[in-house]
Amino acid sequence: MVNVGDMLVGYATNEDVRKRGASGGLVTAVLAAALEKGLVENVVVMKHINEFEAVPIITDDVDEVLASTGSLHSVPVNLAKYAMGRKVAMPAKPCDTQAVIEQAKRGMIDLDNTYVVGLNCGGSMHPVTTKKMLVEMYDIDPEDVVGEDIEKGKLIFKTKNGEEKAIAIDELEEAGFGRRESCRYCTLKIPVNADLACGNWGVIGDKAGSATFCQVMNDKGVKLLDNAIEAGRIEVEPASDKAIAIRAKVNDVMVNLGNTLEKEIFPEIPDADRMQYYMEPMADCIDCGACKEVCPVCACGEDSKCTMFHSLVDNYKMSMYHMVRLLHLSDSCIACGQCSDVCPSDIPITLLQSSFAIPSQRKREYTPGMNVDDVPPFFEVILK
Amino acid sequence: MAEEGWEPKIVAFCCNWCSYGGADTAGMGRFQQPASTRVIKVMCSGRIDPLHVFNAFLEGADAVLVTGCHIGDCHYVNGNEKTEVRYEFLEEMLQQLGLEPDRLHLNWISASEGERFANFITDVTAKVKELGPSPLKPAGVK
Repeated sequence: MVNVGDMLVGYATNEDVRKRGASGGLVTAVLAAALEKGLVENVVVMKHINEFEAVPIITDDVDEVLASTGSLHSVPVNLAKYAMGRKVAMPAKPCDTQAVIEQAKRGMIDLDNTYVVGLNCGGSMHPVTTKKMLVEMYDIDPEDVVGEDIEKGKLIFKTKNGEEKAIAIDELEEAGFGRRESCRYCTLKIPVNADLACGNWGVIGDKAGSATFCQVMNDKGVKLLDNAIEAGRIEVEPASDKAIAIRAKVNDVMVNLGNTLEKEIFPEIPDADRMQYYMEPMADCIDCGACKEVCPVCACGEDSKCTMFHSLVDNYKMSMYHMVRLLHLSDSCIACGQCSDVCPSDIPITLLQSSFAIPSQRKREYTPGMNVDDVPPFFEVILK
Repeated sequence: MAEEGWEPKIVAFCCNWCSYGGADTAGMGRFQQPASTRVIKVMCSGRIDPLHVFNAFLEGADAVLVTGCHIGDCHYVNGNEKTEVRYEFLEEMLQQLGLEPDRLHLNWISASEGERFANFITDVTAKVKELGPSPLKPAGVK
């Protein structure tokens, strides 16, 4: 039996899953057990196509869940929308978890039916950038890559013929590669808003690389773990004080880095230049609407205010579609970076969106997607 | 700056019960005010969506006024309280976007406050005249 607040180190009992998993396969095993024992009806996982491509699938097949193990740093998909209207368990980065909770606040996801296994996340990469980086920085053919890992601030790629090459992430980011922009200024690295917070930070000694650190965040987390232990899929033991301290230290380093980078990334704009600063990149918009389509916190559906009153033939100086979205998301944007990722015109929408959302959220001391009981400030309109 | 003889275009959203009545009273009381406003009547200030304000600016308004009943006097119980919450976000957003704060105003005007309405319009017009045409005004719109 585990309890809320427990800090554990565990691994999958299945040797194959343990070996293929990024760090002990605990997450995969927990998800598989949840499905097996009927705790959930479906599991959302990423189905590997190659190192740079994976598709989210909603499956009720345990084998498919077990086959999905392993981390994917260069497929930054937000899974929140796949949980809608289903009884699911899902792995989730901190930003996926934030999106799930924001959707729950808007009545789109029933949290009682959604089990979220959070994964520590130091940042993810855009697949196109990664491929370019492999050629230019690593001198590796992207086709030859069979695995990747992040360790001690270095990004490591493994090739077919067994070679490994590591380059420091700082160096990569200086050259314009590395993590996505929104990941650089993100400060939520351990998914404390999820049901379980799992990751390899704090796994030390002979277990390093073959076990997962897991913090139980709430009752649903207890259910998930108890269920997996009962099913015989995982083994856990309490984490040592040293392990807990190391995990906290890694987190501190990452959060501090995020805070530092935030100051570098967001420029100080003089009031007189603001309009031009926002207008210029938005002039490239081709009105495809992809940024709204992928937005994991948008709960408006197909007929929404931003698109309904927007016309391609407007000769407005600024897109009304974007103005509505900038306002609409100012309390709920989680800076997951999906909109920038999909933009065919390469507009840094996440950055623009964040420069509105971050001051607005800080002023109201509101962090979206952390606690389901925190009411979004915009909802005051309805509640008053 | 502004051309010689340029008159700003100001869009004023007025609620049916108070501020529209205020505008009426201003006329009946013969209070002088510049002919810069275009009044749009809505049933309640709570009906004014930020979208309407964006649209006004993008269509060429130099300033937008959001007006309604005094807090507590709303004829729909709490419509203007909703306006207030919405306005706060709207104001912040437009400032971040780089629009001068003097181009957007919120004011509560009751049906009997004709003079207040006229003075409000006079003040805003003077301020906007100084600022010149709005940076969001489309090409070809005066």
